[in-house]
Amino acid sequence: MTTATATRPEPGFGVYNLKLGMWVFLLSEVMFFTSLIGAYIILRFAHPEQFAAPGEVLNVPLTAVNTFILICSSVTMVKAFAAVEKDDQRGLQLWLVATIILGSTFVGVQIYEYIHLFADGFVPNAAEYSAGGGPLYGSTFYLMTGFHGLHVSIGVLALIWVLIRSMRGAYSPERLGGVEIMGLYWHFVDLVWIVLFTIVYLI
Amino acid sequence: MSQTAIKTDWDFPAFAGEGHHEVGFIRTYIFSTDHKMIAKQFLAMSLIFLALGGTLALLMRWQLAFPGQPLPGGGIFPDTMAPGGIILPEFYNSLVTMHGTFMIFFAIMPLLVGVFGNLLIPLQIGAGDMAFPKLNMLSFWLAVPAGFMMLASFFVEGGAAGAGWTAYAPLSADGEFTGVYLGQQLWLGSLFILGFSSIAGAVNYITTVINMRAPGMTWFRLPLTIWALFVTAILVLLAIPILAGALIMLLTDQTLGTAFFLPAEGGEPLLWQHLFWFFGHPEVYILILPAFGIVSEILANGARKPIFGYFAMVLAIIAIAFLGWIVWGHHMFMSGMNPLLGTTFMFTTMVIAVPSAIKVFNWLGTLWKGNIHFTVPFLHAAAFVSLFIIGGLSGIFMASTPVDIHIHDTYFIVAHLHYVLFGGSLFAIFAGITYWYPKMFGRLMNTTWNRIHFVGSFIFYNLAFFPMHGLGLEGMMRRLYDPTQYGWLAELQPWNVFITYAVFALIAFQVIFFLNFIISMWRGEDAGPNPWRANSLEWSIPSPPPHGNFERIPVVHRGAYEYSAPGWDEDFVLQNEPPSEEAVQ
Amino acid sequence: MQNVDHAPPPYMMIWGVLAVLMFAKVGVSLIGMPQWLSIALLIMISLLSALLVALYYMHLKFEPKKLWILAAVPIPLVIIFLLFVMQDFGGGP
Repeated sequence: MTTATATRPEPGFGVYNLKLGMWVFLLSEVMFFTSLIGAYIILRFAHPEQFAAPGEVLNVPLTAVNTFILICSSVTMVKAFAAVEKDDQRGLQLWLVATIILGSTFVGVQIYEYIHLFADGFVPNAAEYSAGGGPLYGSTFYLMTGFHGLHVSIGVLALIWVLIRSMRGAYSPERLGGVEIMGLYWHFVDLVWIVLFTIVYLI
Repeated sequence: MSQTAIKTDWDFPAFAGEGHHEVGFIRTYIFSTDHKMIAKQFLAMSLIFLALGGTLALLMRWQLAFPGQPLPGGGIFPDTMAPGGIILPEFYNSLVTMHGTFMIFFAIMPLLVGVFGNLLIPLQIGAGDMAFPKLNMLSFWLAVPAGFMMLASFFVEGGAAGAGWTAYAPLSADGEFTGVYLGQQLWLGSLFILGFSSIAGAVNYITTVINMRAPGMTWFRLPLTIWALFVTAILVLLAIPILAGALIMLLTDQTLGTAFFLPAEGGEPLLWQHLFWFFGHPEVYILILPAFGIVSEILANGARKPIFGYFAMVLAIIAIAFLGWIVWGHHMFMSGMNPLLGTTFMFTTMVIAVPSAIKVFNWLGTLWKGNIHFTVPFLHAAAFVSLFIIGGLSGIFMASTPVDIHIHDTYFIVAHLHYVLFGGSLFAIFAGITYWYPKMFGRLMNTTWNRIHFVGSFIFYNLAFFPMHGLGLEGMMRRLYDPTQYGWLAELQPWNVFITYAVFALIAFQVIFFLNFIISMWRGEDAGPNPWRANSLEWSIPSPPPHGNFERIPVVHRGAYEYSAPGWDEDFVLQNEPPSEEAVQ
Repeated sequence: MQNVDHAPPPYMMIWGVLAVLMFAKVGVSLIGMPQWLSIALLIMISLLSALLVALYYMHLKFEPKKLWILAAVPIPLVIIFLLFVMQDFGGGP
C-alpha cells in the first residue's frame, strides 16, 4: 500500500515538450493577432465611412488566388510531415521544397499587391492617403497583412532551415519534432490568413 | 503510454548524472542555461533596476516637497533635465513615467516571474531544469538589452518618455505634445523586446509545469507557489501579445504617420486605452499572483500548520486570473465610456473581492492557533497580508464608479497602487528573497540586520504611503509637478514634506538590505539543506543545488503543506519522504 | 502519439474542401446579398475552414483532450474583448 502513490502514471499531457511548447506559443500568437484584427474590427465598427466595400479598393481575385496558394502550401507541409512519419526522406525534402516555393510565392504576390496599392494612393500614412474610404483603411490594412506577411516570411526562413537539417538526415519517424512544430506554425499562419482574408477583403 | 516513444530534436539531459560536465566561466555565469543561474541573473538585474526606480522616486519626492529648490548635488544633471539642480517640468514627467515603467516591467515583474519562476519551478516540481534551457537563456538576454534601451532614452534628445507608464494616446502618439520623440520610441521598442523575453519565459514555465513534474507530483500536490506561477505564466502568455500589438500601432502612429490613435486623422484614442488595459489589468495580477503563492508558502512554514483550504486557494488563484480579463474598464471610468459598460465593469471588479477575500481568510485561518515562528520571511509575509488588505479595500473604493469620479487620477490612486505593489508585491519579494536566499547561495542572511530592515521598512513604508490617501481625497492630482501652485494644496504642503522625509528613511533602510544581501554571500552562516524545516522538494537537496538539481528523480508521496502531521518525529515531512509504517496507521 | 493509433487523415480531401470553401466565400462576398447575411455566412465559413485546419492539419483531432482545453483558453478572451469594446464604440460619429 505504501507504493500506491509512487506508481501513479507519469504526470503531463502526453504531448512531448517541443510540441506542447509550440502550442503554448501559438496561443500567444492568437492574442497578438487578436489585438491587430480586433483593432481593425473596432475601428471599422466605429467609423464605417472610412472603409470601402469589398473589391472597391483591394484586388479580390488576385488575393483569392494567393489564398489558394497558401492553402496549397499547407497541404504540402502536411505531406512533408506524413512523409517523415513513413521515413520517406526524399518525399520529405520534395514536399518541403514545394512548401518553400509556395510560401515565397505568397509573399511575392503580396509585395506585388502592395506596390500597386501604393501607386493608387492606398498608403499607411494618413496624411498622404488618397484612395477610397479613409486613412484608417490604409493604416489597418498594412498593419494586419504586414504582420501576417512577416510571419509567413519567418516561416519560409524556418522552412529552409528545416530543409537543410533534413538533408543532413536529422529527421526520422522517431525524431520528427522539428518537422511537426514547423508544420504547426505554418498551419497556424495559414489559419490566420483564412480569417484575415475574409474580414479584410470579403466583408 | 507511448509518449516516450517520440524523441524530439533538442533533447536535453533531463536529470543529473548523465550530462554533468564542467563548463567555463562564460557558460557558468554569463550565458548559462542553468535555471538557478538564470534566476540569480534576473535577481541581480532587477535589484539594480529596483534601486534605479527608487532613485527616480527620490528625485520626484524632492520636487514635490521642495518645489523650485535646487536638488542637493543636482548640479550633475544637464540643463535639459535640471538646470542648477531645479527639476524641469518635462524632466519631472520623464521621472514619473520611468519610475513606473522601471518598477513594473524591470523590477517587480522580473523579480516575481523571472527570479522565482526560474528558481522554484524546476526545484519544486522535481525537474532537472526547464523544458527549454536555451530559450530560458534567451529570455534573460532579451531582458537586459531592453533595460539598457529604456535607460538610454534618458540621454537622447528630448529626454525619456513623459506620457506616463500607461502612455495614453494621443499624448504619446505625437512627439509634438510632450516634446519627446525618440525617447517615446525607445520606450515602445524596449517594452516590445521585453515582451519577447516574457513570452519566452511563459512558454517555458507552462511547458515545464505541465510536462516535467516528478512522478507522484499531481496537480493538487503542487506547492501554491507553482500554482501561482503557472497561472501567472498563462496571463503573461496571453496578455503581453496584446500590449505588443498596441505598442506597434503606437509606434507606427509616431513613425509612419498611421492614424490608429490620432483623432485628427479619424483614429480612436480610446482604442489605446482599451488595448492597454486589456493587457494592463491581467498585468496587475501578474504582479500580485506570484506574491500570493510565495506568501502562502511562507505563512504555512512560519505557522507550522498546513495551509488552510489548499483547494480553495487554488480555485481563488484561477478565479482571480479569469476575472482579471473582464474588469479592465475600471481604469477608464473617466474616459467617457458607455455608462452601461461602466456599470458592468464596476460589477465584475467588485466580484474580484470574493476570491481575494477567500485568500486573505485562508491565510488568517493558516495562522489561527499556529505555533508561529517569527522568522524574517514570516514577518514580511505577515506584513504582506496586512498591507494587501489595506490596498485591497481601497481598491473597492475605486471600483465604485461614483467614488472613482472623485478620486480618479489623484494621490488616492497612488496610495492604492503602492499599497498593493510595494506593500503587497515588494514585501512578498522580500519574504521570498530572505526565504530562498539560503537555497540560492548556500548561506543565511544576517537575521539581525534583516529584522532591522523589516521594522524600518514597515514603519516608514506606512508613514510614506498612508498619508497619500488623505492627499488624494483632498484633490492632489497624480503626476502633479508643483502642489504649491494650488491654494488648497499649498496648505497641505507639510504633508508632502513629511512623506518625502519618510521616503528618504524608507530608502535608507533598503540600503541595509542591499548590503546584507551582498555581504551574506561571503560572510553568512552555512545554511544546510533545509534551514526553514520546510516540506517542498527544493529543501531535500543541498544548498545551493548542484547542476541538474536532483541525483535521482524524486518520487512525491504527499502535498507540500504537511506540517505538524501526526506520526512523525519532526513537525515537517518532505514531499519525497517515503511513507513510514507507523504514519500509515 | 501520432505514430500508431489512427489512420492517416484525409489530407487531400481536406485541401479540396478548404479550396471550395474559399471560393464559396469569394462568391458570397461578390454576389451582393444583404450585408448581414453575407457577413454571417462569411464568418461561419471561415470559422469552419479554420476549424478544419486546426483539427486535421494541426492534428488537434488526434491530440489528448487536455490540449484541446489549453488551445481553447484564448477563445473566450477574444470574444469578451470584442464584445465589450464594441459596446463602447456603438455607431460612429
